[in-house]
Amino acid sequence: MDGIQSWVEFVVGRPGEILGYTIEHAILVAAVMASAAFVSILVGIAVHESMAGRSVALSVAGVLITLPSLALFAIFIPVFGLGWTPSFVALFLYALLPILRNTVVGLNEVDPAVLESAKGMGLSSRQTLVKVKLPLAWPVILTGIRVSTLFITGVAAIAKLIGGPGLGHYIREGQTRLGLPLGMERLWTGVVFIVLLALAFDAFYLILNRLTTPRSLRSRGG
Amino acid sequence: MAEPDQTTEESGGGDAGGPDVVAAGAGTAHGSDEIMIELQEVTKRYPGSNEDAIESLTLQVPKGEILVLVGPSGCGKSTALRLINRMIEPTSGHIIFDGEDVTTVDADHLRRRIGYVIQQIGLFPHRTIADNIATVPRLSGWDKQRTDARVDELLETVGMDPSMYRDRYPNELSGGQAQRIGVARALGADPLVMLMDEPFGAIDPITRDRLQNEFLRLQQELRKTIVFVTHDIDEAIKMGDRIAILGERSRIAQFDTPERILAAPANDFVEDFIGSGATLQGLSLERVRDVQLNTDYPVVRHDVGVTEAQRVLETSSEDWLLVLDDDDRPARWVTLDHLDRTDKRLIENGRKVTALAEPEDTLRDALEEMLLSNAGATVAIDGRGKYHGVIELETLMNVLQRMRREAKAHYARHAEPDTDDTSVDA
Amino acid sequence: MAIATATEDEAVASPTRAKVSDFLTRNAELVITPAALLLFGLGLALLLSNVELDFTETRQLNWDTTSRRIWETVELAAASTVLVLLIAIPAGILLTRPGVRKVTPAVLSSASIGQAIPAYGLFILFFAWMGQGFWTAVWALTVFSILPVLRNTMIGVEQVDAAVIEAGRGMGMTKLQALVRIELPLAVPVILAGVRTALVINVGMATLAFLVGGGGLGETIFSGIQLSRNLTVVVGAATVAILALGIDWIAAIAERVLRPKGLRGRTSPTDTANPI
Ligand SMILES: Nc1ncnc2c1ncn2[C@@H]1O[C@H](COP(=O)(O)OP(=O)(O)OP(=O)(O)O)[C@@H](O)[C@H]1O
Ligand SMILES: [Mg+2]
Repeated sequence: MDGIQSWVEFVVGRPGEILGYTIEHAILVAAVMASAAFVSILVGIAVHESMAGRSVALSVAGVLITLPSLALFAIFIPVFGLGWTPSFVALFLYALLPILRNTVVGLNEVDPAVLESAKGMGLSSRQTLVKVKLPLAWPVILTGIRVSTLFITGVAAIAKLIGGPGLGHYIREGQTRLGLPLGMERLWTGVVFIVLLALAFDAFYLILNRLTTPRSLRSRGG
Repeated sequence: MAEPDQTTEESGGGDAGGPDVVAAGAGTAHGSDEIMIELQEVTKRYPGSNEDAIESLTLQVPKGEILVLVGPSGCGKSTALRLINRMIEPTSGHIIFDGEDVTTVDADHLRRRIGYVIQQIGLFPHRTIADNIATVPRLSGWDKQRTDARVDELLETVGMDPSMYRDRYPNELSGGQAQRIGVARALGADPLVMLMDEPFGAIDPITRDRLQNEFLRLQQELRKTIVFVTHDIDEAIKMGDRIAILGERSRIAQFDTPERILAAPANDFVEDFIGSGATLQGLSLERVRDVQLNTDYPVVRHDVGVTEAQRVLETSSEDWLLVLDDDDRPARWVTLDHLDRTDKRLIENGRKVTALAEPEDTLRDALEEMLLSNAGATVAIDGRGKYHGVIELETLMNVLQRMRREAKAHYARHAEPDTDDTSVDA
Repeated sequence: MAIATATEDEAVASPTRAKVSDFLTRNAELVITPAALLLFGLGLALLLSNVELDFTETRQLNWDTTSRRIWETVELAAASTVLVLLIAIPAGILLTRPGVRKVTPAVLSSASIGQAIPAYGLFILFFAWMGQGFWTAVWALTVFSILPVLRNTMIGVEQVDAAVIEAGRGMGMTKLQALVRIELPLAVPVILAGVRTALVINVGMATLAFLVGGGGLGETIFSGIQLSRNLTVVVGAATVAILALGIDWIAAIAERVLRPKGLRGRTSPTDTANPI
């Protein structure tokens, strides 16, 4: 109980500082997610009709996500130096697979009868994609983005080890001051605020899902 | 089987012995007096539901008989089956299985004695066909040799080549083949009783017809006690020794032999359910060998000469004369006209006899032949093709009237409610 | 369900193209991974053959040290994966039994939020509790990677066709027999996918074990970062990448071999959340 109390005091004592690191973390994640979503959805659309194409794309993204996170962060240091840039690139590569997979699956899951009738009504394949497939696949794609965001938010803590931004700062400080006053408080601040930030992103996606998905399709987004 | 005036099936004293399993007789079923399955005022309400799925259902299934439960979707047919093998427990009432109250026996052991074919087939996708069929034998601790032999035997029984299918997986079978394996698996340890929930549901009519026939042939040998669920009245009539037509909450609308249900539907619900083809259906339950043939028909051997033929035809009231060949097989139909106009030999004159019916054919077959025939009559022959008698429209009318009469008499004797409003010429 | 398979028979132009594309479709995973592996290996060999290592670099990159760290990484991943299996599979099964089933959705949704817990923070927390050493790292890894296996076990068991279980129970299998002979074998593909994910996570996150004195290739990378030796960083990262890809590749093959035969033709379920 003492621990919790002193942690609360620690947090209340420095709202500005914590908010600053949280915003840094959020910006990094948001930037990564926006670009990863853009690229993954485009690639997903490009390959979703070819069985071989989508297997290859998914496998490549699978290789990326298999690489150990520290290795992925580190391997770009010679090119980009330390800090924001290698963190962004590593997280970006990590975020691709879930979105790509859900895009492909979502686009291919559309009921063939629906596609047949769209074709029958004279929609071109581009129109079918934009007016039928994408709206129907959107909840599934959004789920992929959500999953990516969740774990990117956690992995982003490692960015600190290569001089990156964000809440990893408190974990790093907790690590170096372990056993010293306020060491544990810092450590917990890092962990708790990362999870809180993830929850906030999750809530954001929930609302986005509500706003962008026709009611009849909503259950699929879950 | 069953002379026309013999209508109480329970008095029959059991098996007729013949291979005529397809519900031929007008009343007697094949079971003995012994009751295999009995439901006593069974009620089932699923937890969380505020309506009974089954409301006070009482019925008996004699040993060796097929009871068909038929009724609209959701009326509780599957529920009734699942109660019998204790997949679910009744809310109230008793279920007696082979003399024992099922709630007193171990459920898992009970189920090994009851073959169960579920509505969705439910083959184990990760096991080979052989392993699927061997499920119950293995559960019952059979040794490998006996199990393997049984698997092959069952595959043969359902008409599938063991060497070809033994090691396949369920996803390598067609729908109809999967249904057969479902039946074979349920027969695994040779249970006395089979519960079959729409076993031929999901297949095309032609394959279904074939599977039904094969199954009836099987049942002829196996003499299982079977509760068979369907929502197809035609299937019910074909498969059932007895049929229970169920309404909402499994209330019994009528429980009787197919013949009597067709001849005397108990109420509007049953009548609607069996639909307009009931009369024709009734004819398909009766076989040529069981009807009184017209043996007074004008018939001559081809070698009697034209004058004799003319004489026979003139003295009869019929327009057509049947000419037999050397072996007494029906050969030609001739009229006086034919005889007058040409001087052909009898065996070449008139029209060829096409409409023939063997003893095992149903009256419905005979009617179809008749409608296509030249002389408006079907010739009944015996197994070797010899002339036996003639079936005319009148013959069929008599049969139908007899069936209705019997059903009415039966209901009068058993004082069934609901039968008074059934008009005979519905 | 029936609809989902409709895309399988896509028309393809020429027979050879059909063969190539068919092969890629089935085995892309098994081909692309070794290709990437080769790429990293060649890059590494090229790099090392063209530079002179100075003293500090030699200390980090000599074969003795490197092989020891590889082995440590493998041990960490293996130990934590075994622990995960021992804990998560029984727990996952228990959580799908009737009675406990009501909590399933709650467990699944916390499992999905749980992915956001930073592994980095988890390692330091375990360090604070358990002090430094191999087992500290193993337990941190175990806790971190338990969710995918738990989740996939639950989903795998739940997705088994109720009709198949009904058929088994209807033939007189006891509850335990139905579980062991039907539910678990049919859940195997989904559970295996979860196990493979956990293994990949464990190999990947074992690079952070150096934070708690657990050793592993993370030490090479991090010393490179601290000493500003890019060569050390890149060699360390490439080595661990090769290791991770190799292990994942073996796991992918094992996954195919272990999948019950009758289920092979099926497309594996679209499991949205198994990131590493
Ligand atoms: N497990 C269950 N829990 C609650 N209600 C159930 C359950 N199973 C069946 N019911 C309800 O009980 C009633 C009878 O269902 P049952 O499956 O026995 O019908 P059925 O006659 O076999 O129908 P069908 O011909 O469609 O197979 C239905 O109203 C159904 O909704
Ligand atoms: Mg049913």
